[in-house]
Amino acid sequence: MATTFDHTLDVKGAKCPMPLVKSRKAMNDLAIGEVLRVVATDRGSVADFQGWAKTARNVELLEQETVQENGQDTYVHYLRRTS
Amino acid sequence: MTSIDFSIEVDVPAQTNVDFYNSLLQNQPVHVLDVRNPDAFQRGTIEGKSNLTVQNLPYYDFVEDADAAVAQVSSDRDIVVVCAKAQSSQFVAGILQERGYRVSYLEGGMPSWGNFYDVRPLLEAPFGQIIQVARPARGDVSFVLVSDGQAAVIDPLRHLAYYRDAVAQANANITLILDTHAHADHISGGPALAAETDAPYYLHPYDAIHPMDMLPAQMPYQALTDGQRFQLGQLTIETIWFPGHTLGQVNFLVTAPDQSTYLFTGDGLFLESFGRPDLGGKGETWTPVLYQSLFQRLPAMINDQTWILPSHISHLDEGDGEGRFFAPYGQVRRNNAAMQHGTREDFITFVLNNLPVFPPQYIEIKRVNLGLFIPDEEKASELEIGKTSVP
Ligand SMILES: [Fe+2]
Repeated sequence: MATTFDHTLDVKGAKCPMPLVKSRKAMNDLAIGEVLRVVATDRGSVADFQGWAKTARNVELLEQETVQENGQDTYVHYLRRTS
Repeated sequence: MTSIDFSIEVDVPAQTNVDFYNSLLQNQPVHVLDVRNPDAFQRGTIEGKSNLTVQNLPYYDFVEDADAAVAQVSSDRDIVVVCAKAQSSQFVAGILQERGYRVSYLEGGMPSWGNFYDVRPLLEAPFGQIIQVARPARGDVSFVLVSDGQAAVIDPLRHLAYYRDAVAQANANITLILDTHAHADHISGGPALAAETDAPYYLHPYDAIHPMDMLPAQMPYQALTDGQRFQLGQLTIETIWFPGHTLGQVNFLVTAPDQSTYLFTGDGLFLESFGRPDLGGKGETWTPVLYQSLFQRLPAMINDQTWILPSHISHLDEGDGEGRFFAPYGQVRRNNAAMQHGTREDFITFVLNNLPVFPPQYIEIKRVNLGLFIPDEEKASELEIGKTSVP
């Protein structure tokens, strides 16, 4: 994948709302401009991260992709801290 | 900056589908807080009566800034939080409860609500019973008729346990399975029920051809004919061809020994509206056919005392207002929007000018109902997502 990132957060197996709750916490620890890669198995996270990024403070959703991992779909989100 | 500790587990009361449905029917003042994302909310949310208010406030707004989100909750009434599963609504309900709100969350979330069935008797007489099996969130209604130990199921939905249980409770056996038409808005339980009971499954042959694909049905069925009669214990069931919503739409007119009559209209005639004639992609040619059915065929077969029992409702106030979705024809005739347009031209203009959006999944659902495509459970529930406001 072309998007480069600085940190990875693994929330595989976590169900809504935890992928987003943990991502919010992790974003707070990022330096401005850094990118967090979040790997989730919760399919609902795709639409929820889109909605969240529209209204969230200092979060920009750069990209989302679906990746097969051991026969399971994982949903990968790239988030940049903007301020 | 929000200071909420996400690890706190607050003990918020859960609300079951049954209790929640009863509170909707009783028109209790309830505020539903739907915490799913706006796209999911747009596709369909909780619907009730006049005292129900619904607000969409995504759970991630509470994650972002709990106090700011709580300030947007626009009600001090009893709040029921709903979400896609149940964990997010528990999370939001916990935040509200900590701040003193009277709040519960809907157990199981929206998918479970969409699959919630309500079973209640409409008629219990010496000659037999009529049991209504409804799926309120989707507006789908089906029926079980019982007489002398025999049961007929009309327009069964796909969760068969409810029919098994209702029939067992009535000490009867299913001997007849009837679909009023090939459904486009939900998956029929008819063929599967026939396979497990050995009772024949009936459908009109005009509906056994997919109107878009022009392909014949692949599942076993018996062909209904106009005028065909069945005897179910002491009840007579007469098939009446009623084209318009589909070409093979039929009504079933049930006559009891006391001469009371019950017309199961499927999607031909609803209590306050009618089944849209455009789902075959031929609204212009099918609307005049619907006119003939409604204004020429219908009055000839029933009287004002005949009970009308449709297979779809659009809101919970329909019927007796207490969750029994039937009414005498005299009342339907006066209140039904379509029946107020009595001339052919007026009716056609009214119908064609008021056609709602065509849900794209309806084409696929009809393929399922004709055995042209067999979905797994995940695909089946995905096809049936949301409410069918106009079947
Ligand atoms: Fe229909």
